[in-house]
Amino acid sequence: MARKLDAKGFAQQKRSRRRWLTFIRMCRYGINNFSRNAWLTIAATAVMTITLLIVFVTLASRSTLVNSIEEIRDKVDMSVYLKTETPEDTVNVIEEGLRSLGTVTRVDYISPEKARENFAQKNSSDPDTLNALNEAVNKFPGTLRIKLVDINDTEELENFVKTDATLQENIDPDREPSFAGERRSAIQNIAKTVDFADKVGLGASIIFITISSLIVFNTIRMAIFNRKDEIEMMKLIGADKSFIRGPFIVEAVVYGFIAALIATGLGFAMLYSVKGKLLDYGIAVSPTIDFVVTYIGPVLLGMILLGAIIGVVSSLLATRRYLKI
Amino acid sequence: MILLDRVTKTYGRTTKPALSRISLHVKPREFVILVGTSGAGKSTLLKLLTREEKPTSGKIVVGGIDYDSLKDKHIPLLRRKIGVVFQDFKLLPQRTVYENVAFALEIAGMTNREIKSTVPKVIELVGLSGKEKNFPHELSGGERQRVAIARAVVRQPKILIADEPTGNLDPKHSWDIVRLLEKINHYGTTVLLTTHNVEIVNKLKRRVVTLDHGKITSDQAQGSYRQGKAG
Repeated sequence: MARKLDAKGFAQQKRSRRRWLTFIRMCRYGINNFSRNAWLTIAATAVMTITLLIVFVTLASRSTLVNSIEEIRDKVDMSVYLKTETPEDTVNVIEEGLRSLGTVTRVDYISPEKARENFAQKNSSDPDTLNALNEAVNKFPGTLRIKLVDINDTEELENFVKTDATLQENIDPDREPSFAGERRSAIQNIAKTVDFADKVGLGASIIFITISSLIVFNTIRMAIFNRKDEIEMMKLIGADKSFIRGPFIVEAVVYGFIAALIATGLGFAMLYSVKGKLLDYGIAVSPTIDFVVTYIGPVLLGMILLGAIIGVVSSLLATRRYLKI
Repeated sequence: MILLDRVTKTYGRTTKPALSRISLHVKPREFVILVGTSGAGKSTLLKLLTREEKPTSGKIVVGGIDYDSLKDKHIPLLRRKIGVVFQDFKLLPQRTVYENVAFALEIAGMTNREIKSTVPKVIELVGLSGKEKNFPHELSGGERQRVAIARAVVRQPKILIADEPTGNLDPKHSWDIVRLLEKINHYGTTVLLTTHNVEIVNKLKRRVVTLDHGKITSDQAQGSYRQGKAG
């Protein structure tokens, strides 16, 4: 059935077509401006790239830091040493008791035999030590490795160790539990440092992002200031505000887009190149790299969005003062 | 076509007005030359017509539009009805001759087909056929002014305001531009020309309005340039 258009519908159709036409033209002009002002384009894109790279690196470092902290936290456990001759079922009873504590997440038992095996393996290249080990009676203690929810919160565990009768009977008198004394304060220091580093990382991220956004804003403002005669002229021959602004916004989006691609690529390359070196210091970059690889789509989209938002806001603010009648 | 009734414009807090109780009537299809020394108020008058400035008092009506009832958002529409040509051309440096002319139509929301059929005709009218793909910096001053004129008339405005269009040109090119303006006027556009060029004023034998210190000191149907003396 043929749809009849009344005058109103026709006018509306014409208006929407005109709007679409205007939009296409603004995009075309924006892209033209981008390709014809080579130096300005390079400068603005470069600054935007650096901004996004800083954002990327800051976020990646934070993520790496958090991962490393998790790993350190995971590695930090408390050890309680038992006498070598403690029978297996007694160990089980003690283990159960420890597991029932709210602050404990995991308990592992390393038996004296296992400890001896481990030691033998570690020294497998040293025949003297191996021989001595074979001669001697096994004097290794049984070790209970205890992981805590929060390494700062050891009170409950300490109380348990002091008061539990079965444990007191079988605990190795020569070896103190490792949370006591100096080791404990060392562990607590690590915990504090980790918390502090996390906070500093967050603060630094915010400061870096703010500063670099300001730089981008200033660059785009200068780019637009360069063309204020052009804006003046467009106004005088009767261009609408939105028509004048449009191409600048499109241009800023293009800056953001290209900068996002470059920054993500560079950032990824940087992560990859420092991976080996940092691993020597016990900093794990791999989880971050894995994350970026797995979520490359959202990461890239986020970078592009961030670049576009910074660009659009900057150009809106920068053109505002030239658009007064 | 243009009607000014006792228009006064004072800038800021200065006591001396740039324009003082100016009344002027320009009929459709008229060719009016506006002369006067620097600071006489010519630029202010033109800025009032393009609504870059608002008068302090008085009434302005251009092409049936009363500026008192003109809303800010409609100013672009008004400017599309008035063609303006400047001494310094004011072309878009990053765009070709064709694009500069087409731009005036694009902002008005014309379709590509309309643009494709109109622009070449106007470029031919101003005598720039074959230079459509050149950028402004590749053209001579006279050619650039032709582009500016093409851009101003492509929308077929009722009024063309030419603010010292020959100010930056040598005599030969100046005359080319003036002839072009006459041609446009001949096709039915009201032309308002400001100039310092005595020879042009005297040879054209058109209506001459002389401004001095913000006042109209002479208005002759077939005028000539009067230096210094008013009357």
